[in-house]
Order: sequence, then C-alpha cells, then structure tokens
Amino acid sequence: MADKLTIDVVTLDSVQCAACGYMMESIAALPDDVQEMIEYTEWSIKSEDGIARFKELGVQVLPSICIEKDVVFPSIIPQYEELIDEMARRAPNDAMKKRIASLRDVGFQFDKIEENLAKAGSGMATRTNSKVRK
Amino acid sequence: MAKKMLLDAYHGKKTIRAPWVPYAGVHCAFLINEPADKMLQDPELLAKGIVHTARRYQADGIPLVFDLSMEAHSVGCELKWWKDNVPSVKSHPCSNKTPAEAGLQLPDKNSGRWPVLFEAARIARPQLDELDCVLMGLCCGPLTLASHLAGVRIFTDVYKHPEFASEVCQFAGELGTVAAGFYAEMGCEIIAIVDPVASQIKPETFKKYVTPHCQETIKTIHDAGLTSSFFICGNATRVMENVCTIGTHSFAIDEQMNMNFIRDMALKHKVGFGGNLKLTLALSLGLISPREDAIVSLAAGGQQGYTFSPG
Repeated sequence: MADKLTIDVVTLDSVQCAACGYMMESIAALPDDVQEMIEYTEWSIKSEDGIARFKELGVQVLPSICIEKDVVFPSIIPQYEELIDEMARRAPNDAMKKRIASLRDVGFQFDKIEENLAKAGSGMATRTNSKVRK
Repeated sequence: MAKKMLLDAYHGKKTIRAPWVPYAGVHCAFLINEPADKMLQDPELLAKGIVHTARRYQADGIPLVFDLSMEAHSVGCELKWWKDNVPSVKSHPCSNKTPAEAGLQLPDKNSGRWPVLFEAARIARPQLDELDCVLMGLCCGPLTLASHLAGVRIFTDVYKHPEFASEVCQFAGELGTVAAGFYAEMGCEIIAIVDPVASQIKPETFKKYVTPHCQETIKTIHDAGLTSSFFICGNATRVMENVCTIGTHSFAIDEQMNMNFIRDMALKHKVGFGGNLKLTLALSLGLISPREDAIVSLAAGGQQGYTFSPG
C-alpha cells in the first residue's frame, strides 16, 4: 500500500505563469506534517514528459492540480481547507486520512517554500527535451 | 507597422487588417543572444532587445517588459532570477501581516528596477516611433500582485479573512496605479493591467477583489489620454463578463480560450480584444502548425477591434 499521496501539478511553466506558480505554491506551502505525507511534481506542458503526463491524467485546462491521478482543481487555485479535504478523501489508509484531517486548522506555512519547490522540480523542466525529475 | 491601426483596434474600431503585437518578453533576450536576467537589469540591452524584436517581427506594438515582478520587487519582495525566464517572486512580506504592519511604502521612480525601465524606454521609444510601433506598459494586476505580497494564502483569505484580503488588494491596486503613472511618463501609449491569476477565481471574487482595485489604475491611464487593456491568462471563461466590463478599452486572453466566444463577447461589449496564437501548442512545441493556427485566429478575430497576438 502506498504510504504517500501523489500530487501532480500540471502547468504551463510555474516561473513564467503566475497562476501556475501559485498553484505550485499552494502545495509547497502546506505545513511540514503534510509535506511528510505527500510527493508532488510539476509537469510543465512545455516538455515532452509534461505532455505525456497531461494526456495520461486527462487534464483539460492549465494549470490543474491532480491528487492520486484525479483532476481535482482545474484552473482553480485552492483554499487551504479545500486542499486538506481533498487529500484526506484520497488518503491510502485511515491513519493518514485522520492525520491529514487533523491538520485542517494549521494553515499555509511560508518558511520552506523555496526548498519545497526545489524538491518538486518547480521551474526546472520547461524545455521540450527536459526530463522531469520524480 | 502601424501605431494608429493598433490603437484603433484596442478601442474596438474597424481596421483594414488585424494589427499584431508579439508579447515578446524574455524572448527578446534570446533574439539578441543575452541571458534574460542580464537583459532585464540592463537598460541598454533591454532597449536593444525590444527594438530588435519589434523590427524583426514587424510589430505594431511591443511591451517594454512582460515581467509581473516589477511592482512587487520595488516594494521589497525578493526575486529568484532565471537565465531563460522572468524572475519569480520568492518572498511574501504580507504572508503574516498587512501591508501597513509590514511597513510597505509605495515606490518612487528610484525604487527597485524602475530606473532601468525609465532609461530603457528613453532609449527605445524614439526608435520604436521610427518603426511606427507602440511602446506598451504592462502593470501587474491587483490579485496577482496581492499573491506576490501575501503568497498563496490570499486565495483562502478572500473567503476566510476578507478584511485582510481587501487590505492587501487595496495596496496592490494603489501600487498598480503608481506603475501605470510611471508607464505613462515613460511614453507608453497603451498600458495594460495584467492579472493572470484572476482566471483562477469565481466571478463574485473577481467582482469584489479585482474590479474595484483596477479602477484608479484605469482612471490614471484614461486621464493621461492613453489606451487601456486588461490581460488575463488561463481558462478565464467564468470571469469573461467581468473582464469585458472592468472599464478598459480592450482585453486580451490566452490560448485556452475559444476565439469565436471571445470575439462575440468583445463585440457585445464594444471593446477591443487580443489573442490567441497558441504559445505552447504552436510556438513552443510545434504540435500544430503556427501558420495554420495564425490563420484560424485571424479568421475568427476578424477586423473589428481585433489584435493578433500570442496567447
């Protein structure tokens, strides 16, 4: 059984496109306790890898956040609580579901955004032949 | 190249052909074989880049820069620089306090990179005049700027902490108005409010946090006798009515919007409209032919208030 939730953020390019950037930040600014339970990746549509993931996930608009391969936030930057609720709903086990739900009142944290964005490869794979680091 | 044709189109008038505006941005740096971060901080290179690009693409108008970090940087947001992209905002001074509590002050002409832009415009403007090409100024819109100032929490605050969100958007609107004044002083004949994240919210949120905080900026542009526009990105379908009625002479959208729908909205509201050569599918990736894509856009856009541009 998976012990992490997979989140895919499909973007134009989180550096060039502000909406894409803030969609990435909505995940990168989740508190540390949530960060421990998720793995997330930016997929820029400018790269071949990104196009493949875009098609695989059935994304229709950019940017979009997919949780466990469900397109959950298509062209809507989510509120913190919405993100928590949708992640809890898709948690792979009850323990994680409860743990995520318990963090509903914590709110975004901004002290590790740069570090978290780097981990997600944000802005690093925006050329046609870029390989997305997973 | 044809300034008057472009200005007419932005005012929703008929033109003999669709004028053309490449939102070249950091592509100008690529064309002059310079890194983007270097060009954006060097007025001579910036002027060289936009004049070279305007000439090469036979543009009827070209933005001085397409960099939505300008305003945020000038009030203290830290930037991350990229060699092949625009800088991104990496710190949010209002992530846990209001602009007043954070001590934010509106910028003057010496703040941030505004001196670079003033000098670049001084060099480029006469050369663009010779090319009969409009110099355009792009201000960061209130919601995108509020996101730069407060971070992604602003999208939660608009529902949970509306007073805080209003305060940040109010400051962002004032900052945008200052920027519009700067662009007017630089000689930009078209000034656009660019609010890409405004497509990611509900119409009622747009009405409460975007529309009111654009009004002073629009007034500043119109009082200077200049032409205004509102640029939005992404799937803006649900807020298009708000965009058309915000008070600018025109608007522009991106490749995710259907041009027939956009044309009909613009004609209904008697405003100019621009778009939407596909930036990714055609220009970046070549998955569809840029030539055929251009023909589709030009056919849909027509010759009433339409400006051909990337989306």
